[in-house]
Amino acid sequence: MAKVHLKFGQSVLKTFDLPDGASLKIGRTSDNEIHIDNLAVSGHHARIFWDTDHFVVEDNNSLNGTWLRGKRVPKATLYHGDVVLVGKHSLGFEDEVRRNVPRPAAVEEALAQQADAPKMQETVMLGTKEGKGRLAQRIEGADGHESPSPMRAPVGVLTVVEGKTDQDHYMLSDDMNVIGKSEMASIRLKGWFAPKVAAVINHRDGKYFVAPSEKDVKLKVNGEDVSAQQPIKDGDTLEVAGVKMSFSLAE
Amino acid sequence: MALRVELAGRTDVGCVRSKNEDAWGYDAEAGIYAVCDGMGGQAAGEIASHLSLEAVLDFFRHGRRDGKYPTSLDLVDGLSDRANRLCNAIFRANRMVYDAAGHNPENSGMGSTIVCVLAESEGVSLGHVGDSRIYLVRSGEIKQLTADHSLVMEQVRRGMMTLQEARTSTMQNIIMRALGTEPTVVPDLEDIGVEKGDVLVLCSDGLTRHIPDESICDVVVQTSNLDQACERLVEGAKDAGGEDNITCVLLRCLEATPSSNGH
Repeated sequence: MAKVHLKFGQSVLKTFDLPDGASLKIGRTSDNEIHIDNLAVSGHHARIFWDTDHFVVEDNNSLNGTWLRGKRVPKATLYHGDVVLVGKHSLGFEDEVRRNVPRPAAVEEALAQQADAPKMQETVMLGTKEGKGRLAQRIEGADGHESPSPMRAPVGVLTVVEGKTDQDHYMLSDDMNVIGKSEMASIRLKGWFAPKVAAVINHRDGKYFVAPSEKDVKLKVNGEDVSAQQPIKDGDTLEVAGVKMSFSLAE
Repeated sequence: MALRVELAGRTDVGCVRSKNEDAWGYDAEAGIYAVCDGMGGQAAGEIASHLSLEAVLDFFRHGRRDGKYPTSLDLVDGLSDRANRLCNAIFRANRMVYDAAGHNPENSGMGSTIVCVLAESEGVSLGHVGDSRIYLVRSGEIKQLTADHSLVMEQVRRGMMTLQEARTSTMQNIIMRALGTEPTVVPDLEDIGVEKGDVLVLCSDGLTRHIPDESICDVVVQTSNLDQACERLVEGAKDAGGEDNITCVLLRCLEATPSSNGH
C-alpha cells in the first residue's frame, strides 16, 4: 500500500495510508485528511488521488502552490520517493506497490537539476529605468537555466513591416511580451503618442496569444479589430499604435 | 467626525530584505489610516513611502486645523466630498514624491504604492494606487475591495491570463501605477458603508503574496485581540518566507455608518 508522510523539517508529523483507489485532501481547514495548520497553506490546497493505475497530485489553485521536483505543478503523476512541498511542510510519497516502476527520463532529468523556488522580486513600476534594468537582468537569468530543450520549441518572431520601433525583429522568448512605449516593453514603440502598454503577447503551452492592453488602444489581427485575447499563428499580421508587424514561428 | 474604530498595525522588514520600505500611519482624530510600500534603489524606496504617508496625513492634519482642505477644481463626479478630499491628498503625495525624485538623481525612479481609508461617521472612503490592498472582513467572509494595479492582475481582469498563471508569472512585481513616478496619478477611489464589527485590512504585498485571503479571514475572525491578529498575520508571512517587507493594519469599526450598503 502507498503511504504519505507529512513532515516538517526532518521530523515526520503523521503518516497516512493510501490504498489504491483512495484519495487524500490537503489543506489548512480541518475537513482535509492531511490538515496542515499553517497560514501560508490554502484552505483546500491540493489533493492526491488515484487515476486508473497510479496516484496523482493536483493543486487546487492555491496561492503558494504545490511543488514537486523543484517546480510548481498544477497536476503531476507521483512516483515512489517523490516529495511534494506545500508551504514549509513536505509530503513524502512511498509507493510500495509500484516501487519498481521506472520513472520517465524527463522526471529523472528534473530531479537532477532541481532549481530553487523563484525569489520574489522587488516591486518596480512599469516605465522606470530601474525597472527596465531589472527586467533585462531577469530575462537573461531566466534564459540561462530554463527550458532544457530550447531547440525543439518554436519561438515566435515579430518582424516590423511599418512604423517606428527600436528594432526590426523581435524574438518572443518570454512568457509575456509587452508592446508599448514603456521602457520595460520588449517591443518598444517610438511614436510620440504611442501608449505605454499597447498590447501584450502571452506565450503558454507553445502557443502565442495577443490582446490589447488599454481600452482605447486599437489592435488588429489580419485587418480585423481585436478587443479580447486571440491566438496568433504563423503568418498573421498585427497592427497596433501605427505599427504593423508580421508574426512567424521559428524553429 | 471620525468613525469610532479599534486599530492595530504592524510592519516588519521580513526575512530577506535589509531595509523596510513599507510605512504605515494614521491620524485618529481625522480618521485617516494609510499603508505605503516604497520602491527604488538606495534609500529611495524608504523615502518615497514615508513622504507619501506624511503628505497624506499632513493634508488631513492641516485641513482639520484650518477648517478647509486644498482642493483641485475638478471634483470627481459620483464620489462623496470625503472621497474627493482623499483624492486630493493622494494628488499631493504624488506631487511631493515626484518633486523629491526630480531634485536628486539618486532618487530617480522612486515611487510608492498607497492604500488609505478615510473613516468618518457619515461614511468611509477608500483610496488606492499600486498593488497594496484593502480587504473587508464581514460576517466571517473576506472581500478584496481594491483591484491591484499590477501588470499581471490587469491581464487576469481582462481574461488574458488565469489567476494561476499570474501567480507563477515572473512579472508579478511590475505595477502599472505608483505615486511619484509621473507628474500626475489616477487613484482608484470608492465610498463604502460599514457595519459595526466590520474589519478593514490594509496591507502591503509582502503579506498577500504569502498568505491566502481565506487565511487572513480566519485569523481576523478567530483572534478577537486585534494586536494579536496582526502579529499572527505578519509572523505567518515571515514563516512562509518573508521575502518582502510586511505591513498589516487592522481597523475594527465600532459603529455603523448611516448607509451600510455597498458591500
